[in-house]
Amino acid sequence: MRLPKLITVALAALLVAMPLGAVAEDLQMWERSGGNASMVDELVRAWNEANPDRKIVLTYIPHSEMVPKIAQAIASGEVPDLMGMDLIYGPQFEDAGQLEDVTDYFKDDPTLKTASPGHIQVATYKDRLYGVPLYADVSVLFWNKLLFKQAGLDPEVGPASLQDIHDMAAKITALGDGNYGYYLAGNCAGCNIFTFGPLIWASGGTIEPKDAADEPLTGDNLVKVLEWARMMHKEGLINPANQAENGETFHLQFGSGKVGIMGTGNFNLFLLKEQNAALFDGNVGITFLPGLEKGKVASFAGGDIVTIPKGSKHVKDAVDFMKFILSDNVQVESYAKLMNLTTRADMAKNKYFEADPRVQKMAEALDVARTPYTLKFFELINSPQGPWLQMLQRVYYSDDPIDQIIADGKAQMKAIAAE
Amino acid sequence: MSADLSIAMRAETRPRNLIATLWASRAKYLVGALLIVICVVMLLPLVASVLASLKSTTEAAAVPPTYYPHGLSVDSYVRLWDYQAGLQVYVGNSLATAAIAIALTLGLTVTAGYALARFPLPGKEALFVFLLLALIIPYQALLTPIFLMFAQLKLTNSVLGLAIIHTAIQLPFSLYVMRNSFEAVPKDLEEAAVVDGANSLQALVLIYLPSVVPAMVTVALFAFITSWNEFLGALVMMNRQDTFTLPLILSAARTQTSIGGTDWGMLQAGVTISVIPCIAVYLLLQKYYVAGLLSGAVK
Amino acid sequence: MYNNARGRFLGLLYVAPALLFVLLFTAYPFGQMIWVSFNSWSLITPPKFVGTANYTKAFADKQFWTSLQFTLKYTVLITPILMIGGYALALLVAANTPLRRFARAVIFIPVVIGLGASSLLWYWLFSTDYGLINKLLFDLGLLHKPVFWLGVNADISNWAIIVSVIWKVIGFGMLLFVAAIQGIPSEVTEAALVDGASPWQRMTRITLPLTLRTVLLVTLVSVIGSLLAFDQFYIMTAGQPQNLTATSVFYVYLNSFPYLKLGYGAALSLILAGIILLFTLLQLVLSRRSHA
Repeated sequence: MRLPKLITVALAALLVAMPLGAVAEDLQMWERSGGNASMVDELVRAWNEANPDRKIVLTYIPHSEMVPKIAQAIASGEVPDLMGMDLIYGPQFEDAGQLEDVTDYFKDDPTLKTASPGHIQVATYKDRLYGVPLYADVSVLFWNKLLFKQAGLDPEVGPASLQDIHDMAAKITALGDGNYGYYLAGNCAGCNIFTFGPLIWASGGTIEPKDAADEPLTGDNLVKVLEWARMMHKEGLINPANQAENGETFHLQFGSGKVGIMGTGNFNLFLLKEQNAALFDGNVGITFLPGLEKGKVASFAGGDIVTIPKGSKHVKDAVDFMKFILSDNVQVESYAKLMNLTTRADMAKNKYFEADPRVQKMAEALDVARTPYTLKFFELINSPQGPWLQMLQRVYYSDDPIDQIIADGKAQMKAIAAE
Repeated sequence: MSADLSIAMRAETRPRNLIATLWASRAKYLVGALLIVICVVMLLPLVASVLASLKSTTEAAAVPPTYYPHGLSVDSYVRLWDYQAGLQVYVGNSLATAAIAIALTLGLTVTAGYALARFPLPGKEALFVFLLLALIIPYQALLTPIFLMFAQLKLTNSVLGLAIIHTAIQLPFSLYVMRNSFEAVPKDLEEAAVVDGANSLQALVLIYLPSVVPAMVTVALFAFITSWNEFLGALVMMNRQDTFTLPLILSAARTQTSIGGTDWGMLQAGVTISVIPCIAVYLLLQKYYVAGLLSGAVK
Repeated sequence: MYNNARGRFLGLLYVAPALLFVLLFTAYPFGQMIWVSFNSWSLITPPKFVGTANYTKAFADKQFWTSLQFTLKYTVLITPILMIGGYALALLVAANTPLRRFARAVIFIPVVIGLGASSLLWYWLFSTDYGLINKLLFDLGLLHKPVFWLGVNADISNWAIIVSVIWKVIGFGMLLFVAAIQGIPSEVTEAALVDGASPWQRMTRITLPLTLRTVLLVTLVSVIGSLLAFDQFYIMTAGQPQNLTATSVFYVYLNSFPYLKLGYGAALSLILAGIILLFTLLQLVLSRRSHA
């Protein structure tokens, strides 16, 4: 009998010691973990400083569980007031009628006109607006000028086509000593849509179906891009260790100094500053992701949008937060100062970016960037179990005929789109 | 045991000199060495994890890795301590949940175990099997229905709600152990008490409980382990940073760096912190609960 | 004792809290799950009744069969290792010497830590670049290029996970076997010794038969645990590569959570529960026989 009593006492003590939780007046905001936490933390900090009477309490949800978590919240009615979500999932929740329509609040707001078009596109459903950009990630091509010099390449000229990438990568791989010319993540669906997808788009191919009637994986050049990727692997221009990359160490790869050319994102530049100063200081070249032909480029505009779920008790305050993050001052003093892309194009010309042309180059990539618009992005593309990654793994690591791989990918994607 | 005996038997037939004695005892020494090797192998992963948690941030992310820290650092623990709402909040939530889960599990299974072992219940076998229902259902699929029910009962975001889920997961095993332990108590003890005029509750408290303490410790320990480590239920039930439990933070360490890379040092610090209480409780209560497990599982 | 109406009433009274709890928090959601399995439901849109469509879909779903097959393979591989390994360990440590007591305690330690924590621990140990296992094999000269333990090759991933799970749970079976072996009446063993039975004979004719019930019990627990395996795969491979290491429960999780196909997930759970029920009944029949 002594033990249960002990437990009861411990229990009572713990309940008393429990934190009381947030005050009722606060706004609750969810954001996915593993996104751009430092940026979102800064936005919330700035808001709370300016609005002490209606603070935002931020909760990070493990990013792989964000979609089910939101869906459960909606089904139960226990929703936060603001939700930051991977922009790609916007259409799914807009279509279900679960987000607050904010069109009228922004009717006369000029800041919206220059906001990142990719974000606004996925935040819009049937001409109604349901969210605004929270932050932007954009994919570009990095090259390592130190390795270019060693390999006898002109360090100031980056690759402008897939053929260029191949030729330059071959020279860099020839250096040996663990150096490889190019980088492709073997086990990460998201990394590939972000950095490999644009190679397909720039070559005139398409990937995901827009709806059940749409044909996925089209374009005569798709086969050529996939054949190029297989050739890169076959010729050993890509480190075989990349096969295990599931996204958890993707961001560290370029900074290792052993990769000649790599498709990555704007976040990588500032990571580089901490990780590899020698590379950061004038030895990283940045250009757009190319296609088969010179002059054709593309990019993936990713990042998050912030939305208000139906059932929020503070819609007005939440809208104010949306306007707040689009305001000139926050764009410059929060986004640009932290060297994050501004989410409004007209804000890209600012004192912080002008000091670093590389950031300017990445901000320009937003103009050539696109964001897939589909209600089933997770199942089609982002899931480690989805047809996109399965297709690429067969391209990279098997000898199956490319035509067959594409046909299988099409069938799988259509089946998902038709459900 | 059998090895020792066979040596002893064979040893008698051999001339007694030193080499022969050693030779004769070879199996004993071999077994001893083997046991030590096994112990080392079992402990190494845990030791490696603790050591990794004490590496500096750069060393923890080094390729190739180092076996042991070249310079101790508590950086990983500091990051974990400062993570979001602060480690103490998560540990507090986890402890509170575990405490309620233990209390609930014990309360439910002691009474039910008593009833199943000692009373002529109608349809006893069927009842027992029904109570073990959770054993065969993947609880992952039950979480959403439970969550929606709890949302109506206002049990989401609460340690009580989460503790109920953990109790539901842990109930079958606990009930099995409790029932068997009650059955193992000699009947004449209780009969004597009842003759003396004790009612069934007095019999439970005075006669049975002292005998099933080991089983209760076992049930409590395993309820603690389950609750302390459970991830998916906590993820579904908890909506706010300040209601999260330790396993949620552990999983966050995997995607902790700015774009979702793994913070290896913080991950191992998290593993260490989540493992320590389990091992400590186990070592403290070892005497009881080994006996409890045995009385409950091996009749 | 209490063998009357009052006894029945008292018994019901004592079992009532647990019964109520299971009715509320297991049976009721289970009932809901059954209902959901006849619907198409994404949580964010209202459920739509679809009859048995989710069940017919499962049987035509290649991934369902792949997952089931993989789960069975995992179970068939790990169970004998756990049983034979656990029993061998039990024979080694059954005697009550200090070293053996110590070894028992140590081997049991991983049982008391969480499966999630142990999976994260082994996830790190098996990491290609950051893990100590590749590093150790390298330094011992057994490897010349890194092995991708997790998520690249289905068989290697499976074995890596099996190693981690064996480390985690082998102590459980061992402890129960030790108890069963110690529970054999000493007269029986002594009688066998007097009769001049060899160690092997004593093992196969006395120890094993007299502990068979425990062996069957541990087998049942281990088989059910393996058929419901989730955490270790969720954490260590996430079903990779190509969904070849997605266990049945992992596939249930995928449908019930990220894919938001709750009806299909529920149907898959019920099919799985049926399979586990079959195994359990089979085991119970075997166990009854051995008891008789």
